[in-house]
Amino acid sequence: MAKTTLPEKYTCHKEAQEAQRILRIRLCLLCFFAALIAAILCLVSACPVRAQQQPLRWGADPSGGAPYIFTDPANPDRYIGYEKEMVDALAAAMNRRAEFVPSDWQTLVSALQRKSFDVIVNGLEPTGDRAQQILFSKPYYIFQLQLTVRADDNRISSLADCKNRVVATLGNTAASRLLQQEHVPFRSYEDPVGAYRDLELKRIDAVLMDVPAEAFYARPNPKLKPAGPPFTKGQYVIGLRKGDDALKAEVDQAIDKIIKDGTLETILKKWGLWNDAQVEFETPIRSGTEAASNIEYTTTNATFNWSEALWRLTRAAGVTVFIALGAMVIAILFGLPLALGQWKGPAWLRAFCTLYVEFFRGTPVLVQLLFLYFGLPVIGIAMPGWLTALVGLGLNYAAYESQVYRAALEAIPNGQWEAAYSLGMSPTLAFRRIILPQAFRIALPPMTNDFVSLFKDTSVAFAISVWELATAYRELANASGQFLLLGLAVSAFYLIMSLPMAHLARLLERRLSNRAAERMVDDAEPLEVSA
Amino acid sequence: MIRVSGLRKRFGKSEILKGISFEVPPQTVLGVMGPSGSGKSTLLRCLNGLETISGGTIECDNVRLEANISHADYRRRVKDLRLKVGTVFQGFHLFPHLSVLANIIEAPTHVLRTPKKKAETEALELLESVGLAGAAKRFPGSLSGGEQQRVAIARALAMHPALLLLDEPTSALDPRRIHSLRTLLRTFVERGHTMLIISHSMGFLGGVADNILFMEGGSVVEHGPTDQVLNSPRDARTKDFLEQAD
Repeated sequence: MAKTTLPEKYTCHKEAQEAQRILRIRLCLLCFFAALIAAILCLVSACPVRAQQQPLRWGADPSGGAPYIFTDPANPDRYIGYEKEMVDALAAAMNRRAEFVPSDWQTLVSALQRKSFDVIVNGLEPTGDRAQQILFSKPYYIFQLQLTVRADDNRISSLADCKNRVVATLGNTAASRLLQQEHVPFRSYEDPVGAYRDLELKRIDAVLMDVPAEAFYARPNPKLKPAGPPFTKGQYVIGLRKGDDALKAEVDQAIDKIIKDGTLETILKKWGLWNDAQVEFETPIRSGTEAASNIEYTTTNATFNWSEALWRLTRAAGVTVFIALGAMVIAILFGLPLALGQWKGPAWLRAFCTLYVEFFRGTPVLVQLLFLYFGLPVIGIAMPGWLTALVGLGLNYAAYESQVYRAALEAIPNGQWEAAYSLGMSPTLAFRRIILPQAFRIALPPMTNDFVSLFKDTSVAFAISVWELATAYRELANASGQFLLLGLAVSAFYLIMSLPMAHLARLLERRLSNRAAERMVDDAEPLEVSA
Repeated sequence: MIRVSGLRKRFGKSEILKGISFEVPPQTVLGVMGPSGSGKSTLLRCLNGLETISGGTIECDNVRLEANISHADYRRRVKDLRLKVGTVFQGFHLFPHLSVLANIIEAPTHVLRTPKKKAETEALELLESVGLAGAAKRFPGSLSGGEQQRVAIARALAMHPALLLLDEPTSALDPRRIHSLRTLLRTFVERGHTMLIISHSMGFLGGVADNILFMEGGSVVEHGPTDQVLNSPRDARTKDFLEQAD
């Protein structure tokens, strides 16, 4: 009796402990949520206060953004640039404090709309598309475009010479729209650094860029030269949220003020950006001959064209398919030898294969692509973007495939090898005719899985300016603001590509694995022993 | 036929086969018996070249495999030996991705380079003789254990081996199937085949083997005509084993 009660007591004790533990956990959770709610309340209540108490929060893309705004190379924790100085002057004129919000060029408008900051100051040109989404201030700078080529290249002296060449520019800018209008093939870059570097590496033939950027990045480079004089004129304005009219009035006034008192001229001169176009623009404002408020922005006549957008998406989808298929071929071609090396190779080969697999599985594919694209040119291997994406993804997926193949090969029982050997087959014949076909059957489902995800992974190629589907989506959506509709269209493209493949693989799988069972149902006749 | 003399096999320090000698005359069946761990399976794996021998010789037709020859030479002879010796494994090891017919013609067409048509005709004859004439297009997965075994026999015989090895052929069969397997194997012996069968079942070996070899601890304890070994064993260990078995 005593023996049976002892464990009961023990479990009672345990239950009490358990209950206490649960209570403690609940208390902790309660505290956590209370703290969370308090924090959210603080933030929410802080919001209106800040709107009243007004730092001027401005957004721009500082990566490769010289001379507009960029990281000070001498002092990497600080941002410098002529627009930085100008915003500081504007904020001072508005009796506010400027607060910089680092952002991304492609998503500036959407970030403004979701209130990440209050104004865009990033060499923004007023376009018809943007006018539908945001407000513009008065212009503060007149920009021109400059075509740049390699110093030893005498084939190109104007845009007209570029019809059959590839010109680089920043995505969603006046330059990119001009190229599109003139039907010049072009590639969009995230920042001028990449564009000018690729020009040097002969991945492209010319770069078309706004003069401020060109003056900073291309002019000091002896390997590059301007092709012809700067052309066209456009305005830089400040972007504001629709409905922020009070702020717009305040900003416009501030712009007038820094133009009239010469602050802007001083800043532009300091950065080497003061030129005839600025003189022509500022003189009437400063002399008061033209009422400053009468200068309205002129919109570029580019509006969003859906059929053209879909056509561009289709071509981008083509690039995606091409990269995915090419990468698949590489993954299969490299994956099998890797699997074999790791499985049956001598020690040094096993070590090499393991190292390869661990390296490519253990580092992000994005970093690998950036390394291949920007790192390899240092040792003289400069592949074009699409090839880099194809090779990079292929090498990356080869690592994954090799593990699938190795597992599949190891799953084939040893008896299959022995049966093949005892029939006089050589190791290669046994492998080719007996082991591989069986392993393929096992590897097929995980392979399908990998390749569907490879289709989606091609989207990392946007990081190296390959115009595939994800890049296309980002750029077109940012140009038009049609994130929802274009997003649906792009999703449809991805599904159209990946679903048939999954379906095909399923059919193949069924055909391979159900063959035996089907036969049994088809012609199962009792076989009696006759001998 | 096959002649084995002084066959030794070591795994590290332990010697599994301690000098085995015997001969299987043409058109006879040798039954190999012995307790578990006596080295029966290792013997079989040496005879079809799946294990490297450590000493002695194996002679089959004009192939002579011996230890202490160069690696390349040894590999060449193992290849030749495997063409002379066919094996029916205990687990059959049919190729599951190939049909019954493809299982049988795989090695003749790819190793012996027999024309496909000829190989198929031969394979169908073999299937007929093992009683599976209608199963040519079926897949191993849809066959019963007994049927798989007969496909495995046909697959081995399609290579025209001088010696057929069978490892525990009765382990997966019920008594009725054991009886018909015995009949089948005797038919093949009548047609000129030579066999070496490893089995625990004295009843089975008694009906099929011409001679019995009893092994224990890696050595031959007794070797003689079936009647004599089973009914009046000379060695006490054989006697013990027979009394405990069946």
